[in-house]
Amino acid sequence: MSWLPCGLYHEHYREDHAWWQTTFVKGKMLLLAIFAIVILPYLDLVAPDLGPYLLNIAVILLYTILAASGVQLLIGYCGQVTLGHAAYVAIGAYTCCLVLMHGPALAAMTNDPNPIVRTLAALFSLLMKAGLLYPAGIILAGLAAGLWCVIFGLPSAKVKGFYLIMTTIAGQWITVEFFITQYVSQIGGRQQAFTVLPEHFTIGPFTIDSDRKIYYLGLALVGLVVAVTANLLRSKPGRAWIAIRDNDIAAEAMGVNIVAYKLLAFFVAGAMGGLAGVYWLNFNYIISPEHFQWFWSLWWVGVILIGGVGSIQGTIFGSMFMVLVMEGLKALIVPLSGAFPELLDKFLFIKEALFGLAIALFLIYEPNGLAYRWWQLKNYFNLWPFSY
Amino acid sequence: MDTEEKEDISREAPVQLEVDSISISFGGVQAIYNVSFQVRKGEIFSIIGPNGAGKTVTLNCISGIYKPDRGRIIFEGQDITKWPPYKRAEAGIARTFQKIELFSGMTVLDNIRLGRHVHLKSGLLSSSIYLGKTAREEVESRKFIEEEIIDLLEIEHIRNKVVGMLPYGLQKRVELARALALNPKLLLLDEPMAGLNLEEVEDMARFILDVNEEERWKVTCILVEHDMGVVMDISDRVTVLNFGQKIAEGRPSEVQQNPEVIRAYLGDVEDLYATRR
Repeated sequence: MSWLPCGLYHEHYREDHAWWQTTFVKGKMLLLAIFAIVILPYLDLVAPDLGPYLLNIAVILLYTILAASGVQLLIGYCGQVTLGHAAYVAIGAYTCCLVLMHGPALAAMTNDPNPIVRTLAALFSLLMKAGLLYPAGIILAGLAAGLWCVIFGLPSAKVKGFYLIMTTIAGQWITVEFFITQYVSQIGGRQQAFTVLPEHFTIGPFTIDSDRKIYYLGLALVGLVVAVTANLLRSKPGRAWIAIRDNDIAAEAMGVNIVAYKLLAFFVAGAMGGLAGVYWLNFNYIISPEHFQWFWSLWWVGVILIGGVGSIQGTIFGSMFMVLVMEGLKALIVPLSGAFPELLDKFLFIKEALFGLAIALFLIYEPNGLAYRWWQLKNYFNLWPFSY
Repeated sequence: MDTEEKEDISREAPVQLEVDSISISFGGVQAIYNVSFQVRKGEIFSIIGPNGAGKTVTLNCISGIYKPDRGRIIFEGQDITKWPPYKRAEAGIARTFQKIELFSGMTVLDNIRLGRHVHLKSGLLSSSIYLGKTAREEVESRKFIEEEIIDLLEIEHIRNKVVGMLPYGLQKRVELARALALNPKLLLLDEPMAGLNLEEVEDMARFILDVNEEERWKVTCILVEHDMGVVMDISDRVTVLNFGQKIAEGRPSEVQQNPEVIRAYLGDVEDLYATRR
């Protein structure tokens, strides 16, 4: 074990397969973990104004990372461009919402004549007694979103590139504008928006109702998604995905079942989107089809383009960039709005214009994204100051 | 080289791959017509012919990238004519490509690791946890790659480089490494020497002979190659294609003296005069 890569000598292959190989990197990750787990959520004890504000931004950031992870997996690693990821996020959010809203009612139907309903009712009442209705909702949301994503990934068996983009856009409209708006939102005969009370978000003894707890849940979900992605990429499925992205003919000649692995990628990406949807529900307590507009699908593609396509860090950097720049923009425009009130009216347009500008500038000046810059910086300091 | 002895081995060995009168056409072009041959276990079988003779098409039919319009392909007793490429790879047919088809964004090591794909068993769940089974499997596969393949092909120094950045000769070698990682029974080599300098050609020929002859590998090779020196030196048997049809087959020395072959490569004497006039 050495501090820096230049003194690194492995004696086992297992060491070379590890995520973090030097003490320096491990220390860095430990500091990051301490900051994320201890310092940031308890910052309000020292700074009562700044703390909650930063925590709110962090929650938005975690949501963006969750949603963009699936997009990164599909576009960055499997090479299947998706422009409809908001649909899978929506499916996840609505699945979890329906479980939370109608789970108790279903659990009460223990005397239903239909045996399937009775079994389900028994299962749900067990889950409710154990306080596991929300975790079950999370898992169901992931599965439902993953399977939904596979349906719209099916055309990838036959089409590539632009044509696949068209089918994923179709997935967006069919899911959100048609299926959810016209049918799912009508369940229960209420208005379009579904609300869930904070006390329903219980995992065992914990109720996820305060900002801090919501933040921790997001941290756990992001940790899960990042760890799963990183592990998949150093084993069989991830390598098959990258192979399909780089050269599908050679991948098939080397024994990769292309269709199966593409669909697997769609499933995993959709499931990640589903988790993002659950998280959105948890910190808003309300969902409506307007929350899952096509713009968000584009937004997440923008996140990975800016952060770096084909890099886990890229997802995180891109999300940070987008969220922080938009916050900075708000901070800039609010003081100016006294002099130019129309700035506030047109904030949405300014935001979208800047989003487009940022993507254009990144594609021109740094097509490899922020993650590449970060990599360059690290490489420079690896051998600094004697880099030759 | 002791060619006579090799001849005898290959004549006695059982048939591993049988190509039974396959034909394929693209639009109006009859790429190959009624081509049949048998490849015996443990031999180096070369397919030669002038440009456009249908050599690569034949190879693509064997590896499954093209499906022949007519005819059958039988590998180790199984009719694989309708199998998709990945199933053929699972059965033990590996290949390299004429125009290098590596995964350019991956490192050399990851390219070779992908060659182990069919031998890895871990699924989605165990891969995403990466403990126990998957971690063990990855270490085993790494051990195989390092000790059997990287060592054999002498590419230790580039194992962590991204393949897109490597010189052409090394990329060819990485492609061979990736094919060998599959631990194939039959190796299809599509112009492995094309574009290499003399030293690299000699290295490549040595590697092919190594995997063909070493007790550890004993891989049957089908070689498509334009470098006649190499083909005549290392092949056990040679098949000659011209305009999609087989015109000769036999030991290298027999094929070299076959008048049909000479005509295919050099043209008729009358033709030569006709074009010069």
